[in-house]
Amino acid sequence: MDDQSILTTLKILIIGESGVGKSSLLLRFTDDTFDPELSATIGVDFKVKTITVDGNKAKLAIWDTAGQERFRTLTPSYYRGAQGVILVYDVSSKQSFTQLGNWLNELETFSTKHDIVKMLVGNKIDKDQCGVKSYWLQDQCDDRREISRDEGLKFARKHHMLFIEASAKTKEGVQCAFEELVEKVSKTI
Amino acid sequence: MENGDNNAVKDGKNSSSIVCQRCQTVILKPQTATYTKKQMFLPHMKKKSANQAPDDGETLSEVWLVNDMFTFENVGFSNTVGTTKFLICAECEVGPIGWHDTSDAKAFYVALDRVKNEG
Repeated sequence: MDDQSILTTLKILIIGESGVGKSSLLLRFTDDTFDPELSATIGVDFKVKTITVDGNKAKLAIWDTAGQERFRTLTPSYYRGAQGVILVYDVSSKQSFTQLGNWLNELETFSTKHDIVKMLVGNKIDKDQCGVKSYWLQDQCDDRREISRDEGLKFARKHHMLFIEASAKTKEGVQCAFEELVEKVSKTI
Repeated sequence: MENGDNNAVKDGKNSSSIVCQRCQTVILKPQTATYTKKQMFLPHMKKKSANQAPDDGETLSEVWLVNDMFTFENVGFSNTVGTTKFLICAECEVGPIGWHDTSDAKAFYVALDRVKNEG
């Protein structure tokens, strides 16, 4: 074996509405030279990715979309055996936040582990730029934060989830989210 | 890139890591995929152009066979076309680098021509 260290292979799912930035949470942050449109013709369904956090290797299944029809047919097998779930919403989209309950129901229905570790991630905090603009510009700002940190935290507590706010764009909180989740999941094994 | 590169195969499996030709992301660790022959027509991997015909591609026959999707270090799956899911690089999304037929849950194919062996 030429692997770096003792490995824990974890099945972690990232779920949430389309456009909340699930896949970008795991894209590499080093450069933006890649054309995101490349696979646009057929569309990406999901990805398997491996990350290493503190020497723990985590294998993640990441959904790129939440197309309802397709998703329902695929759901059971991909939830099976999942040890951790990252549930993502967009802090500038109330709709993505109100849908969280549905995602939790789906999770309850299909997950096979009772001690599944759940983390709530409020993504795209980088988009919350409107507050710093002058007053008269605020009406033109589309990216205003719609879900406060407190609302996110309350939801997470109510459903026994870890909670973090993050920005995949600025990397803020992203590494923390994975470290925390992988650490927690490792303890449940 | 070379077909039938004997150094790439050791005991029927990949001797070194299989990586993305474009961004070098590791797709498969050494000794995790089985060298097999299986014919499949895949669309070309070049950047999409507005006038690229859907049947613009090539038939490939040398493949790495993997039985479980979690064997992959990193890989992406396209939406389903018929019963086919195309495999792409999970990082740069270049592809198709292989395919998976949804009627056979335990077979994932990566075309030797579409990836490279590390080292």
